Amino acid sequence: MLVIGEVHTGLLQNSGEISEPACRQVLGLMSGETVRVSRRPIVHALSPERLTGVDCALPAASGSRIRGVGTVVSRCAVTGGRVAQGSSYVRVARSETDRRLSWSHYLARPGVVEVLGKAKAADIAEGFAGDGAPRGHGCLDLTAITGRFLDLVQTSPLLNRRAPFRMPRTILRWVAETGEPSIGFTLHTEQERSLRLTHPGPFTPAVVDLCEDLAMHDWLLTSLLVVVERARVGATPAAEVAARLSPAVDHLLHLWMPAARVEERLTPFWESLERRPGFSRQWRSLVDRVRDQVAVHTLALLSANAETGGR
Amino acid sequence: MLVFAISDKGGTGRSVTGTNIAYRHALQGNDVCYLDFDFGSPTAGAIFSVSAVARGTRENGLHEYLRGDCPQPRRVDVWAESDREGLRTRPPGAGRLMLLPGSEGGGELSALTEEVVGRCVQLFGRLEEEFDLCMVDVSAGRSFTAELVLAATVRMPAVPFRWLVFHRWTRQHIIAADGLVTGTDGLFDVGTRFGHDPEVLRDRIRFVRTAVLEPDAAELVGLRDEQRAWLSACDSELRELAGRHGVGRTTMLGKVPLDPVLQWREQLITDEDVLASKIANVETAAAFDDLAKKIVDDNAWEGL
Repeated sequence: MLVIGEVHTGLLQNSGEISEPACRQVLGLMSGETVRVSRRPIVHALSPERLTGVDCALPAASGSRIRGVGTVVSRCAVTGGRVAQGSSYVRVARSETDRRLSWSHYLARPGVVEVLGKAKAADIAEGFAGDGAPRGHGCLDLTAITGRFLDLVQTSPLLNRRAPFRMPRTILRWVAETGEPSIGFTLHTEQERSLRLTHPGPFTPAVVDLCEDLAMHDWLLTSLLVVVERARVGATPAAEVAARLSPAVDHLLHLWMPAARVEERLTPFWESLERRPGFSRQWRSLVDRVRDQVAVHTLALLSANAETGGR
Repeated sequence: MLVFAISDKGGTGRSVTGTNIAYRHALQGNDVCYLDFDFGSPTAGAIFSVSAVARGTRENGLHEYLRGDCPQPRRVDVWAESDREGLRTRPPGAGRLMLLPGSEGGGELSALTEEVVGRCVQLFGRLEEEFDLCMVDVSAGRSFTAELVLAATVRMPAVPFRWLVFHRWTRQHIIAADGLVTGTDGLFDVGTRFGHDPEVLRDRIRFVRTAVLEPDAAELVGLRDEQRAWLSACDSELRELAGRHGVGRTTMLGKVPLDPVLQWREQLITDEDVLASKIANVETAAAFDDLAKKIVDDNAWEGL
């Protein structure tokens, strides 16, 4: 029917970026399972997947009660040794029966939640990712599942928890369906975003990669905006502005690699977001602003130095 | 940084001082959240002038969260939801100011279970990721809440925390404040039992004097000479007493002068109250501002 998922993105709680072996250790959340690491164009480490069994109501915009039984797939990723992500998703499918089967049935279908009874895909999609969708008690709570999984990484004893700046996590809720290609990215509150994706062909985990990639770049953009806002360019002395912008230079600017890990077939989606609203365009203008501020400050320091030196 | 506000007795002005420090810290450009852990009477909403949660929230309060009845506690953005005109817009350069209200009619914690401590650790961990300062209003005196906080912080060795003990400048309050820290079942006693290093814990506790009437204060101008002499004698006696009880100058982080506004109503003292309507004293606002800087200033917390 459809796939729904959530990606939480935050700053890894460590003073500096962590090395690749450290990534492996931090993400080695289950013994015996390996952490997958890719090194180009940016170090990206992905934890083994974990399943959470659920038997609960699914979100529905109409308020009707839809019961789903199955498992949620969750995983964590660390990009560039600096950005931590938790990600969960479920493929919603119709059950062949109208009663709950034994758990072995659901465990054989990891990441699938079967709906008992009637349900409309659009109703679930709107209930999950729509604006102000009511989320009652006992409803499938991907936020709680994903958040706790990301907590495991963030509270790892290998991290010193002295992050260079504070930044809220962002939450991206996504819904993917098969059909005529389209993509819609919406900002809700300061931390919440939603993504509606219609892709040709059947669902593959590559769609999850795309959502995680988008979530990471949205977080980078959001964070850089916050850092620049906090610097109060024009309202505070240049030296202070430069000092407040420095965490961005140290920890964020080099991480921008849009669509680096997106499958060829799905890159048109990124490209369409690059046209509108233009992620990279906004990023570039912000980066230029940060660098210009730092450059102006350096020039001021140099000329001040030259003056005192000339005397 | 986690900062726990506790007081020896009720009525010391712990909540009103704690909220004002949080407010000033946000004005100084930091992201701040205020957690109302005073489960018996969660009234932080009233001080921030958010009438919807004036006596706690009906849904998703901190009490419910700790009991496991909701996945995340409700957050109230003070800059957006306060009823006070002067608070409703975020001043330029100010950080976020978020209130996590307690549950309406929640009642004190009745027991300390493993699950409750686990949820508390999770909550502190997440907030610390996001906010420069998390001010936690722990209720007055010895309570399960204080134990909960001590049990939670020992599990998060990498997360910095500090304690502020509020007390009034009277004989009984000085003795009680000392008792709360060093007495039986006091902070040291319970903290050590949970696995805190007593030496480390000692360096993380400072006292804040509230509603202090200085012998040379402007309010005392109309007093008779005999009254002034008596007050001065009392003050030096109290200073001597405080020194003996380890509540003296060296362990004091700051003091807040007596302000008529705070005697009549628990509220935030904004710059408007001081400069425009002039209902509050400049010294009070300055004291809060100073405390808001000192809570994160390592020099003020150097080992004794």
